Amino acid sequence: MIEVKNVTKKYGSTIAVDNISFDVKDGEVVGFLGPNGAGKSTTMNMITGFIEPTQGQIIVNGNDISKKPRKAKKDIGYMPENVPLYYELTPKEFVTYMAELKLVKKAERKEEVQKVINEMGLAEVQNKLIRNLSRGFKQRVSMAGALVGNPDVIILDEPTVGLDPKQITEIRNLIKELGKKHTVILSTHILSEASQICEKVVIINKGKIIAVDTPENLEKATKEKNSISLIVEDPKCNMEKLKEKITQIDSVDFVRDCEDGTKQYIVTTSADIDLRKKLFEILPKEEIVIFELKKTENTLEDAFIKLIDANKQEIEEPKDKTNKIEQGNEEKGTNPNNGEGSTNNEKENLVNATKENSSLKDETEEESKENNNESENIEDEIKENDNGKESIEDEAKKNDNKKPDAKEEKK
Amino acid sequence: MWAVFKKELKTYFLSPIGYIGVGIFMIMYSIFFYLTTIAYGSLFMGEIYYATARYGLLIMIPLLTMRLFSEERKTGTEQLLLTSPRSVTSIVLGKFFAALAVILITLVLSIIFPIIISFFGKINIPTLIVTMLGFILVAMAAISIGMLASSITENQIIAAIITIVVLVAPWFLVDISTIFSSIDLMDKFMKFPSGLISVSDTICLISITIMCILITIVLMKRKKAVK
Repeated sequence: MIEVKNVTKKYGSTIAVDNISFDVKDGEVVGFLGPNGAGKSTTMNMITGFIEPTQGQIIVNGNDISKKPRKAKKDIGYMPENVPLYYELTPKEFVTYMAELKLVKKAERKEEVQKVINEMGLAEVQNKLIRNLSRGFKQRVSMAGALVGNPDVIILDEPTVGLDPKQITEIRNLIKELGKKHTVILSTHILSEASQICEKVVIINKGKIIAVDTPENLEKATKEKNSISLIVEDPKCNMEKLKEKITQIDSVDFVRDCEDGTKQYIVTTSADIDLRKKLFEILPKEEIVIFELKKTENTLEDAFIKLIDANKQEIEEPKDKTNKIEQGNEEKGTNPNNGEGSTNNEKENLVNATKENSSLKDETEEESKENNNESENIEDEIKENDNGKESIEDEAKKNDNKKPDAKEEKK
Repeated sequence: MWAVFKKELKTYFLSPIGYIGVGIFMIMYSIFFYLTTIAYGSLFMGEIYYATARYGLLIMIPLLTMRLFSEERKTGTEQLLLTSPRSVTSIVLGKFFAALAVILITLVLSIIFPIIISFFGKINIPTLIVTMLGFILVAMAAISIGMLASSITENQIIAAIITIVVLVAPWFLVDISTIFSSIDLMDKFMKFPSGLISVSDTICLISITIMCILITIVLMKRKKAVK
C-alpha cells in the first residue's frame, strides 16, 4: 500500500511535481503515463526515497519514507530508468550485492539470489561480466536487482525501453506475473503497454495528475464517436448513398482502394449507437459485399492525447476557468461515466484543441512511434488477439464463404 | 557498511585502478628506498615513508578516491545505493574504509623493505611502527578529502584535480603566510618518522578526517533534498 499525499517537488522556481495525491492498493499494477518531462521519474524517485519531496508525505506500507527510510525502503524494489549497473561485476555478484544492500539475511542470501537469477532467466550468463551482456540481459539483471529480497512493492521506470519485440513481451508477461504477488508501479510512454498490463493508470502532465482510472474507463470516458471500418466490394457505388438509408450515420468516409478491387470506408456514428448488426443486414440488400467489418476501438492513446491536450488548454486559459475545468476533470477521473455528460461542451473544445494544438500530439506520436517501431509487429499480433477488439472476423469469414454464392446469384 | 566495503574493495582489484595504485606506490617506495637508504647507507626508514607519503599519496589518493561517488553518480548506480535501506552514513564509511584498505595493503607490502634492511643492521621497530601509524593517519585525512571532492562532482577528473590541489596548495601557500602550514597534511606527518607521536598533530589529522567524512554525509543527504 502506497499513499502519496499532497506531494510537491520544486527545483528552484520550477515546479516538477505539483501537489499530487494518489494511492496504490496492495497487489495493484499501476501505470504511470505522461509525456517526457511530465514528472513521472521525479515522482518515482520520491516514492523510492531517492529524492525528498519539497512538501507532502509518502507512506509505503505504513512507514513514512522520509522518517522511517530503513523500514520503508526495505519493502521497495526499484529499477531506475537507464538501467544503472556495475559493469565490472557479474550478474551473480551484482544480485548478491543488491541482496546485501537490502538486508537479506546471510543464511537465506545464496538461495534467494539463485532463485531470482533463475526466475529472470539469467542462469546461463550469471558468471559473465555485465559489461559484455546484451541490452536485454542488462535489463533483466537490473530487474533481478529490484526483485531480490522479495519486496512488497516493485517500481519499474520504463522497463521495456530499448528491448526487442520478443523481450518486450517477455518482460510484460513477467510484470503481469509479478502483479499477482506484488504491488507494481511502472512508468512508460508506450500506451498499448499500459492498457495491457495495468489495472489502473495515472496520467500526469506538467507535474499534475490529470486522470486516475482503469484504462478501459479512460478509453470510454474520452470516446465521442463510434467508428466502424468496412472493406467492401461495391461495384455500383452504393456506399455513398448509405447515409440516406441509415439515418444514424454521421459520415461515411472513403479511406483507400485495396489491391483486390475492394474499398475501405470508415462509418462514424455517435458513441451510443452500434451499427454493426444493421450494416450486416442492409449492405447485402444494397448489393454491397462485405469483406471485413471491424469496430475501431478508441485506444488509450486517443484518451491520453485528449487528456494531455485538454490539460494544455487549461493552462492557457484564465485562472477562474481553470479551476472549474479542473473540478470537471476530477469528476471525470473518479467517475468518468457521470463526468461524460456534464463535460460535453468541454469535449468539443478538446476536439478543437486537438486540431489546433496538434504540435504536442505530433510530438507524443513521434515518441510513441519511435518506441513502438521495434515492437510494432508484436503489438499488432497482440491487438489481433485482443478480446477487447471485438472484431467480427469470424462473421467476415462467413461472408467470404458466401461470396461465391453471391456471385453465382448475380450470374 | 560491510556490504559496501566488500564491494568497493573488490571493485578496486577488478579494475586496473587498485593494481596501478599499489604499483605506483611500490615503485615510488623502491625509488626512495634507493635514494635515501641504499645511496647513503642509512638505516633510518623514516625518510622513505615521509617521501612516499608526500609524493606517493599525491598520486595514489586521487586515483583511489576520484571514482568513489563520481562514478556512481555518472552511471546512475547512486540510485541503487540511495534507495536501498542502508543509511548514507554506512555507505560513506564503507567507501572510506575500502580506500583505506588499499593503502593498508600497500603498507603491508612495504614491510618487505625494513626486512631487507634488517639483514644488514638493527632497525628501530617502535619508530617504524610510529611512522606507519602516522602514515595511516595522513592517508585517512587525504582519503576523506578525496572522497569529499568525489561527492561534489560527477566528473572523476575534476574530483582528482580538486584533491591534488587541496593536497599540494599548502606547500606553496606557506610562502605567503605560515598560517597555511596548519592545513598541510605533510607538516602534520613530519614528527612521526622520528618516532614522536605528536598529540596535536594526531588530533588534527583525525579531526580533518572526521570533518570531511561528516561533510560528505551531509552533502549526500542534502543532495536528496535539492536534487
